[in-house]
Amino acid sequence: MVVKAENYNRPGDKELGVLFDGGKVRKRREWRGLKDTLYDYGRWLHIMGILAKFIAKPRNIKAMFRYRWMANYLATPHMIDKFTMGLRDEPLRIVHTSMDFVVYDVASTLDNIFRGDRRTGNDVEYSKKCVLSDENAMTAFMMGFPTVHAILREVPCMFVANLLTQYSSTHYLDVAQQAGIPGDVCPMPEAEAGTSIDDDFAVLGCCAVQVNTTCDGSLMGNGIIAKRLEREYGIPTFQLIAPMRHREPDVQKYAAEDMKKAIAFVEEHSGEKWDWTAYFESAKRVNDATRKRMAWLEINSTPYPQFVGAPFSLYNDTNYMGNCGRSKLFPPVDAKLLKLAQQGYEAKRMMAPEYRHRCIVWGVQPQYCIDMLNWMVHCWGVVPLTDMLSMINTKMIAEEDTPENRDQAYYDMAWLNENMIMRNRTHGGYKVLVNELWEFCDMMHADMVMMWEHMSCKALDGMHGQFEEQARERGIHLVWVCHDLCDPRVYTRQAIRNQFNDYMRTVMREEPLDPSIETLPDENAW
Amino acid sequence: MSILANIFKKLLIAGGSFFAVTFVVYFFNLDMKLTSKIEPFLIKHYDTMPRETYL
Repeated sequence: MVVKAENYNRPGDKELGVLFDGGKVRKRREWRGLKDTLYDYGRWLHIMGILAKFIAKPRNIKAMFRYRWMANYLATPHMIDKFTMGLRDEPLRIVHTSMDFVVYDVASTLDNIFRGDRRTGNDVEYSKKCVLSDENAMTAFMMGFPTVHAILREVPCMFVANLLTQYSSTHYLDVAQQAGIPGDVCPMPEAEAGTSIDDDFAVLGCCAVQVNTTCDGSLMGNGIIAKRLEREYGIPTFQLIAPMRHREPDVQKYAAEDMKKAIAFVEEHSGEKWDWTAYFESAKRVNDATRKRMAWLEINSTPYPQFVGAPFSLYNDTNYMGNCGRSKLFPPVDAKLLKLAQQGYEAKRMMAPEYRHRCIVWGVQPQYCIDMLNWMVHCWGVVPLTDMLSMINTKMIAEEDTPENRDQAYYDMAWLNENMIMRNRTHGGYKVLVNELWEFCDMMHADMVMMWEHMSCKALDGMHGQFEEQARERGIHLVWVCHDLCDPRVYTRQAIRNQFNDYMRTVMREEPLDPSIETLPDENAW
Repeated sequence: MSILANIFKKLLIAGGSFFAVTFVVYFFNLDMKLTSKIEPFLIKHYDTMPRETYL
């Protein structure tokens, strides 16, 4: 299982701990040798260009002073530095290609939000052609509306904000709890509910579509948000309900009918008609993205994985869920990523001198905010091959415009919605959550599973014993790592890392590859 | 010819200065050090804003 690099020589900084001094930001940027430092510098200039273009618009400056969560975007380059720590050559280029595009995509989303927002840009005509959507919503129901904009309003406020700074949600959690919402609910929907209670969401759109994702906490948050949307802002809200047992054949007709109703709802409020040509073009792009994702996973199943960690998951989230084939900008990025991954594989490129364990990351994951996966590679030589949120749809959907396929399309959109990130594993029974994990371990040749245990999540609690028992039967090392998602006041970054450190030292009896990052003073860091 | 050479020289100086300044900012993380100082003022501003906070 152990893979050692032949003639491994990482130019530049050898000990990554030198970059941390206990402050909010890093002491300096990493020296990666001349070639890769200049490459990273070039990408930094590119990011600064995106940010400068964004902030040059008066409505965006206005938004900066209106919305508290916008302050987190001051840390954008810092987020990229977290994801690229210790990387060189192709892995560095893969992370930049994927994450720099995510930065561009989020900046465009923000720009669109503030264009239509009643408090900042207030472009009424534009706002009439916007449909608000949930953070964890597949935008499949928008694939046939090329002139209507799907706005995932909660993504930049909460999800992305949490990638940028670890304390981004704490104010909204306090607001929600002051309003009487219990503190043991998942902090993600709770923070979203807090944002709504605090009147800190942008207000735009002709209507909104909410989904029953991914849990009871999410439903609670949606209720609070929908109340304000409908009663105060006059934005009608549709509830798109995906069946919980989504792999059962007898629920598919219901799911397809609900999808049809969601589309009719958008037609009614936007005044636009569903366009089948646009839908099937989007469907082709969805299939293309699925093929590329499977190709990346195939490379990751070899001894030389290339596209891994939080950027792999984040790019898939953005592409599969937020985009869902609607944008023409994604396929060229997908192709570039595949080319880089193939190059890296052929060159036997490694991110650390030694890969000791091949790991699948499972459970409700906070790795975005702490960048745990990159740290695992550099500190312990544990390669995160893939994660639960990236193991989504692998089925090809109908992409030719025929009368039969138009009927099939509703089932396909429903399928995408049911197999959306998180829901496809946290709901659907033990087969999708437990059994398929062991299939993925076989497929990816993994000997270790890192099980994120989100202490406020009720979805996975009942399966704890089954995971332990079955991992033992299969000889898989199962590392439980407890956390409280985006509330670092409950579990600090180091408290999370320590659980992994303890397992590696006491159970595996191993020493870190880079001891300088075993303990990091980043409790106060962004 | 001398005009072209002059323009080229000026472009080279401008490009070199741009590189020198931005690379120092990049490498010593001065951009993030500056924005981390701005953040507390923004938070203070958000804290004093009137809001319609209710469930």
